[in-house]
Amino acid sequence: MLHLRTIASREIKLGFRNPWAYSFMALFALFSLALLLIQSQAGLSGYTSTTGTMINLILYLLPLMTLLLGSFSLTTEKEEGGWRLLSSFSLRTRSYIWGKYAGLAVVLIVIVAFGFGLSGISGTLFGRGFSLQAFGLFLLFSLLIIVQFLGISVLLGALCRNRWQALTYGVGIWFFLILGWPTILIAVLGFLPYLFIKPTLIALIFMNPAELNRLFLIVKMGGGSILGPEYYQWVKWIQQPMGSLLFAGVLIAWIIIYVEAAAGLWERGRRRG
Amino acid sequence: MAKELLRIEKVSKSIGKSTLLHPCSLSVREGEIVALCGGNGAGKSTLINMIAGISRPTSGAILLDGLAWSDDRVAYADRVGYMPDEFQFGSALTAYETLHFYASLRRVGSDRVLELLETVGLLEVRSRKVSTFSKGMRQRLLFAQAMLAEPPLLLLDEPTNGLDPYWMEAFGRLIRSAAGNGQAVVFSTHQLNIAESYADSALFMVAGHVQYSGEVETLKEQYRGAGGLYGAFDRIVASVAPMEREGE
Repeated sequence: MLHLRTIASREIKLGFRNPWAYSFMALFALFSLALLLIQSQAGLSGYTSTTGTMINLILYLLPLMTLLLGSFSLTTEKEEGGWRLLSSFSLRTRSYIWGKYAGLAVVLIVIVAFGFGLSGISGTLFGRGFSLQAFGLFLLFSLLIIVQFLGISVLLGALCRNRWQALTYGVGIWFFLILGWPTILIAVLGFLPYLFIKPTLIALIFMNPAELNRLFLIVKMGGGSILGPEYYQWVKWIQQPMGSLLFAGVLIAWIIIYVEAAAGLWERGRRRG
Repeated sequence: MAKELLRIEKVSKSIGKSTLLHPCSLSVREGEIVALCGGNGAGKSTLINMIAGISRPTSGAILLDGLAWSDDRVAYADRVGYMPDEFQFGSALTAYETLHFYASLRRVGSDRVLELLETVGLLEVRSRKVSTFSKGMRQRLLFAQAMLAEPPLLLLDEPTNGLDPYWMEAFGRLIRSAAGNGQAVVFSTHQLNIAESYADSALFMVAGHVQYSGEVETLKEQYRGAGGLYGAFDRIVASVAPMEREGE
């Protein structure tokens, strides 16, 4: 536990001294502020096109930022010899990987919360912002995206040899899960007999953290009807009290699977030397 | 007679079809200073990495205080202080923060961090970012890192690279003092004068082969008229088949 804490606290220090972190924060605050202003001018509440755009903004920016920052943190250590030195210490691989995960999670959560805080304060001071519930759901949605994609990024960092490789695969994963997903989904489901579509679609939703989080937020904000009546029927379990628990369980399970897989891969490399 | 601390038995390392280190054996006693001498590609770092537990031997065994790395990794690692050859410090941390981080992993307190910073002449610049340090200053910080927990075995890969004459001599004094306290020191170098001045034993390595292993005093005596350790190295390397030398 001491080792995990030490690794995490160094990661937090490094994270907050990384100029990248502040660039992302500025970008995020700027866009959320712009959307907030549009929302206040329109005078709308609940699930609107602005909230939809806000969800898309979060989905475009946060997973990419998390994938790159997370995987770079691990590949940099491989490239610069940091891990070679650490592997001569009595440091357990799991403590190292989970420490990295915890430290990066703190950095990213603080950055995003700060960005939201800035736009929230501005909204309160200068006009009508998002409702408190919408604001809270956006923040929760963003934090969940971060912790989920951070798990993937740690696994990516364990798989890649250097930053270039991590960048290439990171952008690829982002494109596949965020931009390409609907097209791939429609293409794959079109080949299936009708009876198989529903179970396949539900299973695929659980495979993509971005999609699972997006659906959860839309349904919780009362915008489920935009999904269409049939699709909404399939995902309205989210609305029920057990839905939130199931959602949380799936997220935690995925994080553990990603990070433990990363630790397993890293340990295999260490044993083989 | 001091107790044997490190035993290396017919250890070799191959990656694919290329052999980085041919089977070699070595025994290091407590308080002994051993220099691994040779040019680039001689196999010095390969051997040090295997002793440090960073890479695994293809064949043979390494026992530190009777322990193999695979038996008890934690106990093994606690007995080694390792200074790498190639290491790039991140740009964000200061000298104190860097050393304190490694000290925390070794469960060593802040007092020892400050003491070592003073020993290696970096106390005054402890608040400066390591990225602004010269090569010599970074080497001294890495050396301090290896000495943090006063481990029974110090493994130093090219520790004098980039050091000015003052710190080269100070390095010699420090490893002599560590050996005086019973710590064994194994270091690699291509500067034979360092090995001649401070090591008790030397290994001459050429293209992954150990060509000579023995006491420095014996070598100096044997090659007195031929330039001491330099002469000895030249003659031993000259006796190696040209094909093997090309592998360097």
